[in-house]
Amino acid sequence: MFAARCIGVSLAVFVLMYAALSLAVSRGWRFVVKVWKPRLAGSSADLLFGLRMAPLAVAAGVTLLFTLPSFLWLEPRFADEAIGSAPLTLGVACLLLFAAGMVRAITAQFRTSRAVAEWLEGGSVMEAGAKVPVVRTPNAPNLTVAGVRSPRVFVSEATMAALSPAELRTAVRHELSHVRRYDNLKKLLFRFAIFPGMGDLQRQWSEATEMAADDAAVSSRREALDLAAALIKVSRLGSLESSPALAIGLLHSSTALSARIERLFEWRTVHAPRSQSRSWRYSLPAGAAVIVLVALTYSAALLRMHALTEWLVR
Amino acid sequence: MKKVFGLLRPSPATRLGPLEFELLQSLWARGSATVRELLADGSIALAYTTVMTTLDRLYKKQLLDRVSEGRAFRYSPRHTRQELEKAAAGETIRQLLDSGTTASLPLSYLVEAVSEHDARLLDELQRLLDEKRRELREQEEQ
Repeated sequence: MFAARCIGVSLAVFVLMYAALSLAVSRGWRFVVKVWKPRLAGSSADLLFGLRMAPLAVAAGVTLLFTLPSFLWLEPRFADEAIGSAPLTLGVACLLLFAAGMVRAITAQFRTSRAVAEWLEGGSVMEAGAKVPVVRTPNAPNLTVAGVRSPRVFVSEATMAALSPAELRTAVRHELSHVRRYDNLKKLLFRFAIFPGMGDLQRQWSEATEMAADDAAVSSRREALDLAAALIKVSRLGSLESSPALAIGLLHSSTALSARIERLFEWRTVHAPRSQSRSWRYSLPAGAAVIVLVALTYSAALLRMHALTEWLVR
Repeated sequence: MKKVFGLLRPSPATRLGPLEFELLQSLWARGSATVRELLADGSIALAYTTVMTTLDRLYKKQLLDRVSEGRAFRYSPRHTRQELEKAAAGETIRQLLDSGTTASLPLSYLVEAVSEHDARLLDELQRLLDEKRRELREQEEQ
């Protein structure tokens, strides 16, 4: 009974926190972006991803660091208490949420694997020994990167024929940037972390991540114009066909297309992502400060958390 | 926001008066401004009271926010241009979809219009691209 109560209470706290934080994020993400004002598309995409995943990460962190230890250390093991209807209901809701998330993630992974297998038929790897294989194939959408564990870039025969070598190189670099940023893995996590009302945030993330990949793919005005030309040519090929969930094509949507092309026309070095080492200047001290704060207040926090879970069980 | 949708039919440019739209555009460009600031650069050739009354009307339509600044108000747009256009487009499409007797007919008009628009957009983007490439070549040759 102790173990059942421990699991029930932990899951209940998790689901309550997850729901409250998700609601706050789905309502307030625009405000955070407005206040934060990320300068680069990459920072914007990172911020949006952070906001989208924050409820899951914070709820899991609080459950593992506070709820579970407080119950294990402060709850008398031999107390003959029932699990309580609130923790039981919330615990079941949490398990259902996990199950639904798992089903969505596994389905996406399965569909993507099936599509990749189809695209690989009759395909040939263009550059042997490359870390991420670039596959030329008659079956794939025009230009897309698919897969989470072993990602591949697929280029259709039509795209090969339409693009000049310089345009193709820049477009492939764009797709490889999605691999470096783990964008398909992030999409998988979005599918797992279910919560209604996150569609706008995810769409905004998709647009920001496309622009971040554009920035990473070009390092001169000439390359920016090559990528713009590739975008126009690929959209003329009519490539907004549906792709599996864990694949990202060169084109996100026609609305974003004109914004991206106009951005590339105005390309300046300011769009180029700077070395990431600068971010450590802020994140390391902030992380250290959080660890020290948690260490200093840990016992008091456990007592408070236990009082909260007692209230929940009652 | 729902109240705003009604004001935008069929588009912000046509539903709002030309003066209202002009002032809204100025505020989008500036972020925020007082009546005096809007008139200062000379691009709006109107009387102070006309601009003041129009801004007040936009505020009452919930399209502007305002804070008092001395004896005047500082106005700022409540929604971005993109948000307003998105709302207007959504409303127009909803109206179009509701208008047909056969459910699929308005949708087919829409697909046709979007395809035509996309083709025109791509032509325009291609023209701009050719221009930019020519500029770049000239710069490199100099």
